[in-house]
Amino acid sequence: MSTVENLPNDDKLEMLQGALEVLILRSLKLEANHAYGISQFLQQQSDSEFLVDNGSLYPALQRLLQREWISAKWKTSPNGRRARYYSLTAAGRKQLVKATSKWERFALAMAKILEAEG
Amino acid sequence: MRTWWAKVARALGRRRNLANELEQEMDAHLQFLTDENVERGMEPEEARAAARREFGNMTRVRERSYQSWQFPTIESLFQDVRYAARGIWKARVFSLIVILTLAVGIGANTAIFSAMYAVLLKPLPFPSGERLVWFGESSAKASGISVTWLNFDHWRKENHSFERMAGFEKADFTLTGHGPAVLTRAGVVTNEFFGLTGSRPILGRLFTASDDEPQSAATVVVSNAFWSKTLSADPQIIGKTITLNGSSYIVVGVLARDPRFWVQPIDYYLPLRPSAAQASRRDAHGGMHVLALLKPGVTLAQARGDLDTLMQRLAEADPGPEDDHRVFAEFLTEQRTGDVKHVFALLMTSVCLVLILACANIGGLLLIRMTTRAREIAIRTAIGAGRSRLARLLVTETVLISLVGGGLGILMAGFGLRAIELLGPPDIPRLSEASLNLPVLIFATGLTLAVALVCSLVPVLSSGKVNLFILLKESSTGAGASRIGHVLRGGLVISEIAVAVVLLFTSGILLRSLWAAETVNPGFEPGHLLALELQLPPLPYKSEGSILDFYRRLEASLRTQPGVESVGAVNCPPAAGDCNDWWYSLVERPTLSRDDVPLTLLNIADAEYFRTVRIPLIAGRALSDDDAAGRPAVAVINEEIARTWWKDPRSALGQHIKVGGPYMKGPVVEIVGVAADVHQYGLDISPAPEIYFPPAQRVDGAMVVMIRTTGNPESMIATVRQTLISIDGNVPIQSLRTADAWLGSTLVQRRFTTLLLVLFAGIAVILAGIGCYGVFNYWVSCRRQEIAIRMALGAGTIAILRRTGRQAARLGAIGLAAGLAGSWGASRWLKSLVFGVSTHDPVVYCSAALAAFLIVLVSASVPLWRATQIDPIETLHEA
Repeated sequence: MSTVENLPNDDKLEMLQGALEVLILRSLKLEANHAYGISQFLQQQSDSEFLVDNGSLYPALQRLLQREWISAKWKTSPNGRRARYYSLTAAGRKQLVKATSKWERFALAMAKILEAEG
Repeated sequence: MRTWWAKVARALGRRRNLANELEQEMDAHLQFLTDENVERGMEPEEARAAARREFGNMTRVRERSYQSWQFPTIESLFQDVRYAARGIWKARVFSLIVILTLAVGIGANTAIFSAMYAVLLKPLPFPSGERLVWFGESSAKASGISVTWLNFDHWRKENHSFERMAGFEKADFTLTGHGPAVLTRAGVVTNEFFGLTGSRPILGRLFTASDDEPQSAATVVVSNAFWSKTLSADPQIIGKTITLNGSSYIVVGVLARDPRFWVQPIDYYLPLRPSAAQASRRDAHGGMHVLALLKPGVTLAQARGDLDTLMQRLAEADPGPEDDHRVFAEFLTEQRTGDVKHVFALLMTSVCLVLILACANIGGLLLIRMTTRAREIAIRTAIGAGRSRLARLLVTETVLISLVGGGLGILMAGFGLRAIELLGPPDIPRLSEASLNLPVLIFATGLTLAVALVCSLVPVLSSGKVNLFILLKESSTGAGASRIGHVLRGGLVISEIAVAVVLLFTSGILLRSLWAAETVNPGFEPGHLLALELQLPPLPYKSEGSILDFYRRLEASLRTQPGVESVGAVNCPPAAGDCNDWWYSLVERPTLSRDDVPLTLLNIADAEYFRTVRIPLIAGRALSDDDAAGRPAVAVINEEIARTWWKDPRSALGQHIKVGGPYMKGPVVEIVGVAADVHQYGLDISPAPEIYFPPAQRVDGAMVVMIRTTGNPESMIATVRQTLISIDGNVPIQSLRTADAWLGSTLVQRRFTTLLLVLFAGIAVILAGIGCYGVFNYWVSCRRQEIAIRMALGAGTIAILRRTGRQAARLGAIGLAAGLAGSWGASRWLKSLVFGVSTHDPVVYCSAALAAFLIVLVSASVPLWRATQIDPIETLHEA
């Protein structure tokens, strides 16, 4: 349907369903950030393994806003640009804890199976 | 909940704000990217362009963000519906045909289903109606005969299988004292009847066990309708009396609502009490049958076994002539509907075939439309519509059009039901209750959705075959010309022809049967004949002499009226059904074993009857006034009996018949004449054995006076009524109508069934014609170029016709063969409805085949003609 999604994505990792939302929450754990900042953060933290597509990032942010896990506020950035800053709400923090343990268990289980001998 | 509310708020008012905010946010995002690019040393212009590239497709970000603010399913559904509606409107003729086809298919199905639901499926309006069992007795010869009082009494006291048991019968009484004497209908029941049918009084009480005692006062419970109409809703009615057949009955209660146990409405209920004979003899039959409520968990077979053991014990304890009698038990629902079940099975099957035809047609039309839309769909795919989105669009369009068609169909079903109400046979129980109630609407909706889904599969499946590149390059021939489309369309033609042939055959057989029944020689001359049906009230017509005297005076008075040619009376006129039947044997023949004793109808005819209705006498003489009581007992037999026992009917004269057979009491009568057969059970049932007695030797207060008129019999009705009143104004008229009307009414159900089937067959033919036309027309369109090339190379009109017609002829022939095979199979089902023709009537087969041939011919002629009109030069230029 869309041009971007269907292009061969080199060997960048594809995001699993629901993973992007958790990562966004994680990226806001320490400080508020804007959409560009979030995508930068995710790219850097994953050693550029994840390439965040704006077509996925923006709707994900909207969904998180609707669930009231994050809130948004227009602020001026350190370099003088006005940007929309997202920050975690209390519910968002709780969700992050829950999701983190879930994903850790998931990753562990995956690893166990993949690394099992025989 | 809160997120949901937030969504609503956004959807309602804040979407514009959100959109603005998103724009600003993306703008800021681009700024960050641009800034970075500038830092890396790009020119501002260049930096901005690079930022845009890096950001990706902004429209997509917008769209997908918008989606998260919407109710995605509902909103995109609205969008789809809007779009589909536009699509439907754009192809108006196509849509109209589809909608009408669907409306006819769904309308017919809904109407027939609602009739079937009312008659067969709707639970009986009684508590635990599914456990109600109907009882009669059965012997070696007959089943379902009446139950004697003593047997019933033993059953109800000694059974282990039933919660409750009630005896019931129907009787007619003359009501006097409320205006002119009228004939009224009574349900004669034991007290448990009301509990079993769930009846309640609004005034007074219902019967109790004491009402069943023979010595109790005569009591009556009146129905609500009778109370409000005839008794003017008298609130003080309890304790007052009404006069029935000259005796007084105390009104003890008024029913809240009639249980509608009988097909005809009942005016009031009387307690069922045994006569002295019935209370003492186990073989004294009346007209009683038994209704019982099965205990939960007991099967009908167990209950039957239970009562049969009882009957065996009774036969040992109280031996009598009916020791071989056993119980005959059926669930009440079965008993009610056994006769009409196969009629409804036939109607429902036919109407389903019509629906299948409608679906096939719509599927075919959609298929053809898809091919003309193939380019549109290819373009949509090219500019980014996904497969699922396209499928959803096509499905929505089909579903929408189906819903419109279904709605219209339900509307048509409403009209159909009105027609059924007006034309339907009155003797089918509960048919008049058919309505568009909830179960029927659920059925119709389910049917519509099923049709919608099935039909929408067609475009989706065929759109799956769309090949972008080929389509965009080529013109008119595309996806639809694929092999699968080809096979599908061929299959459509074959199945449409086949279904049409089956329905044509079925309706043809029924039409021939109806024709045979309508034109059957009734055995007498029904023209210019009036039938006056009377039942003399027991008071004052108590003695046989008074009854004979009444009819003698009435007939004499009628004969003096101008316009009356002759008058004769009979107990049971032709086509009146089974008034009375009994065993008989021939005195001069060896005694038959108990199981082989034959049955015959018993009738009473006076001296003038045969001459008046013109039943020819084959041998001997008619009955005469000289055959009085005390004179030698005589009878006239019909040809059916005579031919059963003698080669030449004349040999029967002087022989003797023992009425009741060798094992029952009954008089011995001498055969003095043989009369031609009449159709006693109705025009569409073959004649049965019948014996006529002279009235004086077998007196009955219920007679039908037949009046042969010189002019139009209907104009004599008033005269006849007047004459009766001048003899005795207190004798109610049961019926007074022409013999033609009397005879015709026996065919109402047959006419109705036939009419419906002919209607369905007609619809089927039209649908099949349209469907075939569509397919053939499409072929010619697809082959325009091929045909043009052939023409350019010198093919003549005949050659073109032969080439294109061959395909149509081949499919038509396969369809016809399948249809004839189907008809052969269907004819087995029809057996019980066929009269006067063979179920494999060659005329009907040929007519159905001819009709199918005509369908193909007519539907193919226009497309073929178009094929010959193709201008090769123009067509080849187009390409």
